[in-house]
Amino acid sequence: MTLETLQSTFEMHQAMNVEVFYWWCTAIMFMIHAGFLAYEIGASRVKNALTSGMKNILTLSVIIPTFYFFGWWIYNAFPNGLIPIDASAALPWSMSMGPNVQDMGTGIFFAAFALFGATTGSILSGAVIERIRLSAFLILAAILGSAVWILAGAWGWHPSGWLLTEFGYHDVGASGVVHAVAGFFALGVLMNLGARVGKFKDGVAMYIPPHSLPMSLIGLMMIIVGFFGFLGGCIIFNGGDTGWTTIYGNPTNLSAFGFNTLMGFAGGVIGAYLSSREPFWTMSGGLAGIITVAAGLDLYYPGLTFVLAASGGVLMPIVGRWIEKLGIDDAVGAVAVHGFCGFYGVVLVGVVASAYPNIGELPDITFTGQLLGAVVMALTGFIPGWGISFALKKFNALRVPPHVEVLGLDLVEIPAKPYPETVPANRVVEGTITPSESEKLA
Amino acid sequence: MFSSPISSWDNVAAYFTFSDSPMGMAISLAAAVGIYLYLNISIMKHEKDAFDKHK
Repeated sequence: MTLETLQSTFEMHQAMNVEVFYWWCTAIMFMIHAGFLAYEIGASRVKNALTSGMKNILTLSVIIPTFYFFGWWIYNAFPNGLIPIDASAALPWSMSMGPNVQDMGTGIFFAAFALFGATTGSILSGAVIERIRLSAFLILAAILGSAVWILAGAWGWHPSGWLLTEFGYHDVGASGVVHAVAGFFALGVLMNLGARVGKFKDGVAMYIPPHSLPMSLIGLMMIIVGFFGFLGGCIIFNGGDTGWTTIYGNPTNLSAFGFNTLMGFAGGVIGAYLSSREPFWTMSGGLAGIITVAAGLDLYYPGLTFVLAASGGVLMPIVGRWIEKLGIDDAVGAVAVHGFCGFYGVVLVGVVASAYPNIGELPDITFTGQLLGAVVMALTGFIPGWGISFALKKFNALRVPPHVEVLGLDLVEIPAKPYPETVPANRVVEGTITPSESEKLA
Repeated sequence: MFSSPISSWDNVAAYFTFSDSPMGMAISLAAAVGIYLYLNISIMKHEKDAFDKHK
């Protein structure tokens, strides 16, 4: 074997390893969606269980093609702001956007990013269960998952994104670009969607119990499993002798992520338990902890990670209850877990990791840059979420009619029953508000 | 369907169906977009029918 042949064999194996790595990250990320499926079905009442599941399945199925149609192009075209640059290789008719022997990168990165996008749709999905129209939800999910978050990603999660090049923005595990954007988008939608019938009586929030809390808890644990694919996909596996880097180009490795993902999970669970004593919030604390530390996952000392994650876990249920007191019915606490913790996580990097350098001439990490970035993420999510849902509301296309909500969406829309031999979906189950009570409240 | 852009595997780059035929790609892509749009319209119609039926 000549030196030249040896080199070409080595390079081919490097390229194949990159593909293998992201292939399995993408596969593991599907566990996030299996988790959201179980989590949201469990969080719904029996009368809406299958509708919640159907919504979740279709979320993936609309975000994947729309991300192919325009999402990947948005990421590549908008790093400078709102004026696109040439990104013709990312258009769906490009030679790179299909099987191509000479291109071993585009498809696998497209797949990973499409699954990141689908995660944003699933975050929205949980918040709006039991009263949103499926048609309205799928429009909102496609816009969030294939346009809004990826625009934020082009700005703050791209080697040439303006938040990085101008302000040194650091958000390695997507606390801001995925979680804060999706959480604040959900907040905007919830403000127009309104609460479920019976959620508030005389201005006081009532507890609408999930029909299967164990199913929700298992779903949340599955999401944690999926996070290992998600966070693995946030690292750049480079060819040549560069090794692992973050999306911003600074060196890192899976060991850094290994320490801090686990410490973030544990800190978040303990924090949420201490502040709530309630299983749903406690398990959500695992997510809250990881999201709180995700932005600085490559930088933090694990002991500090644990403390920061615990603070996110403590604060998350408090923020969730505060949002409820404002009259907003977020059925799964998505705004608190993803919106608040994502925002908080981006700011924390500025608090505890200021003055870390970026590569080359890029500005250092600063508190001001992180705060600005967090605000940009929140507004990039909130404004379209509120605006589009407001327009749908004006066309009476956002929410199911009150009589449908009272009967249950499964009975009206779904030609199947979740538990036909135990709890018929065509019977109003115990604890459900009656039609006459609902009419008084509607 | 005569959609293959290649006649051998030597020096191949993009080899997917219609990669040498903008018309074939355009029709495929338009059909894909059409299915996505039809899904949305179909769900809206299903919702209207279902909601009316249970009034």
